[in-house]
Amino acid sequence: MKKLIELEVNGEVHELAVSPDETLLGALRDHLDLIGTKQGCDSGGCGCCTVQVDGKAVYSCMMYAVSVQGSEVTTIEGLARGPELDPLQQAFIDAGAVQCGYCTCGIIMAAKQLLDTVKDPSEDEIRHAIAGNLCRCTGYRKIIDAIQLAAAAA
Amino acid sequence: MTTTIIGKSVPRPDAYDKVTGGKGYPVNVKLPGMLHAKILRSPYPHAKILNVDIRAAEQLPGVKAVLTPSDCPKRKYTTVYFVPTDAASMVQDMLVMSDTVRYAGQPVAAVAATSVAIAERALDLIEVEYEELPFVLDPEQAMQPGAPQLHPHAQNNIAVNPVMEFGDLEAGFAEADHIFEGVYETQRVHTCYMEPRVCVVDADPEGNFTVHSSMQSLFGLRQKLSYLLEIPESKVRVMKPPYIGGGFGGKLDIGYIEPIAALLSMRTNRPVRIEQTRYEDFITTARHPIKVYLKTGVKKDGTFTARYAKSILDTGAHATHGAEVINVHGMFGFLLTYRCANRKWEGYAVYTNNMVGGGFRGYGSPQACFAVESQIDEICDELDLDPIEFRRTNAHHQGDPHPFLPGMKLDTYAFDECLVKGAERMGFARRTGPNAGEGHRKRGIGFACQPLWVSGCLGFPDIYEHSGAIVKLNPDGTADLNTAVMDLGSGQITTLCQIAAEGLGLPMEAVRMTQTVDTTTVPFDAPSHASRVTYGAGTAVLAAARVARQRLLQVAGIMLEVSAEDLEVSDGKITVKGSPDSSLTVAEVVQRAESPFVQVTEEGPAPTTVEEKGTIIGLASTAPAGNPSPASVGFVEVEVDTETGEVKVERVVYAHDLGKVINPNAAEGQVEGGFQQGIGYALMEDLQFDEHSGACLTADFLDYKILTAVEMPLNIESIFIESNEPTGPFGAKSLSEPCITVPAPAIANAIYNAIGVRIRELPITPEKILAGLGKL
Repeated sequence: MKKLIELEVNGEVHELAVSPDETLLGALRDHLDLIGTKQGCDSGGCGCCTVQVDGKAVYSCMMYAVSVQGSEVTTIEGLARGPELDPLQQAFIDAGAVQCGYCTCGIIMAAKQLLDTVKDPSEDEIRHAIAGNLCRCTGYRKIIDAIQLAAAAA
Repeated sequence: MTTTIIGKSVPRPDAYDKVTGGKGYPVNVKLPGMLHAKILRSPYPHAKILNVDIRAAEQLPGVKAVLTPSDCPKRKYTTVYFVPTDAASMVQDMLVMSDTVRYAGQPVAAVAATSVAIAERALDLIEVEYEELPFVLDPEQAMQPGAPQLHPHAQNNIAVNPVMEFGDLEAGFAEADHIFEGVYETQRVHTCYMEPRVCVVDADPEGNFTVHSSMQSLFGLRQKLSYLLEIPESKVRVMKPPYIGGGFGGKLDIGYIEPIAALLSMRTNRPVRIEQTRYEDFITTARHPIKVYLKTGVKKDGTFTARYAKSILDTGAHATHGAEVINVHGMFGFLLTYRCANRKWEGYAVYTNNMVGGGFRGYGSPQACFAVESQIDEICDELDLDPIEFRRTNAHHQGDPHPFLPGMKLDTYAFDECLVKGAERMGFARRTGPNAGEGHRKRGIGFACQPLWVSGCLGFPDIYEHSGAIVKLNPDGTADLNTAVMDLGSGQITTLCQIAAEGLGLPMEAVRMTQTVDTTTVPFDAPSHASRVTYGAGTAVLAAARVARQRLLQVAGIMLEVSAEDLEVSDGKITVKGSPDSSLTVAEVVQRAESPFVQVTEEGPAPTTVEEKGTIIGLASTAPAGNPSPASVGFVEVEVDTETGEVKVERVVYAHDLGKVINPNAAEGQVEGGFQQGIGYALMEDLQFDEHSGACLTADFLDYKILTAVEMPLNIESIFIESNEPTGPFGAKSLSEPCITVPAPAIANAIYNAIGVRIRELPITPEKILAGLGKL
């Protein structure tokens, strides 16, 4: 039995008919074609699916779509303003922090919450803010450089 | 050679797309009418399938087809696709679906349905009747008489047993002043690419297949599917994704998913998609565990007199990569690393009822390096020898004959420089003995080497090693680069565009890698593996760029009424040598070549000649001229907590002769990422299986731990030594694999230096440290 939910995604209100066992990740990818949010493990282990729900970074694979009824969701597609990238997105390009890139959108979303809440984060705060996001390519150094770069630009 | 783009950290052309959502991954492919398939897997590690009852599953609304072993081709094959399908070196021992199960998780049926949820529900309705068989999970037990046999062709479960010998081993041991023996064991680890293995296969009623997949080779996949389905290769069109979400060798073979999706698509006349779950990924591919028995004879001064090793590799239920990994391990991990007149190696790739191993960056060398480099430190410690001098004494040197390629020399080989510069940067001279200093946290420094390695596969008789490229110029002065090279994330798009731009004389931003090619439109390419792309594919890209450049200068020469030899091109501008005022832009020349016979210009109609006409295009399909060895040395500084057994890697200095740096940022990324994987291998990663059921116990990231940003040392210094390899594009050799090979033995050696405990079994967990200290 499908259930109707209403949620705001990247500033637009959507009404979706979802199954009770459908995740927010599935709703974003399959119903709204927001494919920037990635499935890496579907078990809350890798962070590729990180989005913001009401300003908080969450694993979208670990939330039922029905549970975000009435919430505001921000995905990677909601960060850029037209052609103008979010400072974090630009910093990831400039610092060479992107390799295969499959984890990138999730890490940017996790870092976004940090920069939204902490003005000048320390290296240690940055490390912990992205501790729930795995990257197998970069060794994290350039990712942390990028977040520092974005923090400095803000 | 003066270069303007090579050696610069130009940003990745694919980065913008990846930070805004990453549309290009194969996981995003969606086709009209697409079905979703799921695979039923055996719960038993060894069993006969007596019956598969699919009647209830077929009745479920939304189910379009169910596949069982009896519906699958009976042709045996190996999944490895960097060799020809019928190569002698490969063991053809598997079926897409067999009625004999040889590991827990082997596919026994598959369902295609209108949704993933329906396909999953249908799997629950399939009744499989098994007859359980005795099973064996330990390779040494599997070699014993009376052990359960996995394959009729393999006596004592030995899939392959290569033996290589040089000189006189017994005489070498007789000549030795000291003989050292040790047993070194490594565990099964996973590549942990972040994008799951995924495919969409679309079969049409005329027997053509269009394939989207996350694999590391277009042409390998085409050949395997055509072999399995017994259809001509031209009937299989494999689409190249713009990029994939990591591979590291873990996508270096055809999976079960591509043939199963192809068979289901044939049955339903609809595209079929299969995406593996993370659990399925964990039991699909892994680095093979290898146990190495090592015996070494040395003179008092530290010169090797005899080296012997026996390596037992657990290849799991099928030989696949195991039959090749064992050889690379023995040769490049052991036999060829250091000079020694008397050497012998025996390798055993042994069948067990474990998951099948696969490719993983380093491909057999990390297991050998852990043994060899650990034991060298043990020897140096026992004989009070300098471990750096010891390695220099026994190593190959620049100008020596190449120990693998007949008739070739190590023309560029800066191993000594790697040792010296790395030691200096790390401050190796300040190293003290074990247990120095106060308190329970002890510091230690260690290092390890991968002295000899490859830049691709030239010289391996059974392995493909050629690449192709098409470089096409556009009237706006840009160029399109078309290749089958897969970018796994390590930056192949960037470095190949840099090579093309430099070869053409165009600015970097004027060269683009075409995203939508497939096996019908681009030349063959060997997979992205074996540290080969910069050197091997770079050679082809540069050759194609030079062909296009030659034609560009010919047309410009006609326009400027000079000979092409008198022209040069740089940054998109063609000038007459010595007369900088006489010039044309690349765009002007391409417009002339592409125009009709009368060209419309701002000055009015201009007649052109037949000689100027035609798209300016360069094509090359070529093997590189050699297989030059890089050299690498990694130093680490660790802190060991003698109360908790925890090991922290505090600092890394990594020195590597890569010939020439094409992109410093991308090169550093290879080192830093390699150490993320290598430190995990050393300290925590371990795919574990239940001894009673053969089931994987660590099939998600909560149980299989890899380093996060919290544990990862950020203090990693890369020293790139540019030896300028004459056969490489702009002097380049290779980089990727040794970065993951050296960390584990370097860490083991540093731990010994910190606390005087020698651990010969990976991963080095806190429990093993505490046991070594006598505290457990």
